Amino acid sequence: MDNPEVDMTPMIDCVFQLITFFMLVINFESTSADERVKLPDSEIAKPPKVKKEDEVVINIGFIRTKTGVKINPDRTTENVQPLVFLNGEDIPVSGMPPRIRKDLALYKLQHPGDATIKTTVKIRADSETPIGAVQELIKMYQAEKYEKFALQAMEKTEE
Amino acid sequence: MAKRRSDGMAVPKPDMTPMIDCVFQLMIFFMLTLKIVAAEGNFDVNMPIGQSSGAPQDIIAQDIKVRLKADPNGNLVSLQIGSRSLGNDDRAFAQLNEEILRAIGGQPGGPAAKDTEVELDADYNLHYNYIIKAISSCTGRFDKRTKQVVRYIEKIKFAPPRKPGA
Repeated sequence: MDNPEVDMTPMIDCVFQLITFFMLVINFESTSADERVKLPDSEIAKPPKVKKEDEVVINIGFIRTKTGVKINPDRTTENVQPLVFLNGEDIPVSGMPPRIRKDLALYKLQHPGDATIKTTVKIRADSETPIGAVQELIKMYQAEKYEKFALQAMEKTEE
Repeated sequence: MAKRRSDGMAVPKPDMTPMIDCVFQLMIFFMLTLKIVAAEGNFDVNMPIGQSSGAPQDIIAQDIKVRLKADPNGNLVSLQIGSRSLGNDDRAFAQLNEEILRAIGGQPGGPAAKDTEVELDADYNLHYNYIIKAISSCTGRFDKRTKQVVRYIEKIKFAPPRKPGA
């Protein structure tokens, strides 16, 4: 007697549908966003229609415990300072100038003729970040002649 | 059961197993790398050199000064437009939105809207979300009827940071 064969066609159809879905919704660009940063939301913050040509994303926020308590990298809870999460490192705001200069040197190599810096500094700051720290960061970039800044917020959708 | 051609020869059936293996691998890859993130928007802040937030500037007539005072924990204590206090809750931000509309002559996109600049002057430790709320109130409002954003003021700048204890 012949073995009864299972018809695979419906399963393959479903699996292809699923793959197509995942391929369409996957967004490799969002990898520059750090999950530790909880952005504030705003009704009028809309994603830009035209993507910025050249941008650098800066995540600034806090290390938190599972219960949401802000802590320093050495796990103390006194005088917690915001940190910049950059390429897997947690850097205090005051330690940023050498990194900015390194980015700038790379930019100048890539764009030798540019008189002004066209890079937009996209700041993704945690809701509870002191604005003074964000302003200091902006000043550091300004000191290296960066002019364009964008403050990120989560798009608030209507309930 | 294998199909038979009219001449009686069996039609060879392709083996699907390797393809299904690959397809499952692909599906698992996409499932694991998928990161669902909500859409993010941004507020552009142009800060040309020379207009550095560190240098004191001449306040021109069209400037609207918005002051945000914070308590030691970084929460908003008072929101002021000019010298007038609006409070510290959501109503204060709604009121700020109305004041801005009044300041641009009630005409979003009009000449007054283009010339007017808002200077945000916040305490050092004020939480970033209040600044975003203030920028949102100054930038415009969301029209629920048309589902469009009505733009008020595009030019937003920061006053020099106030050092803690200063």
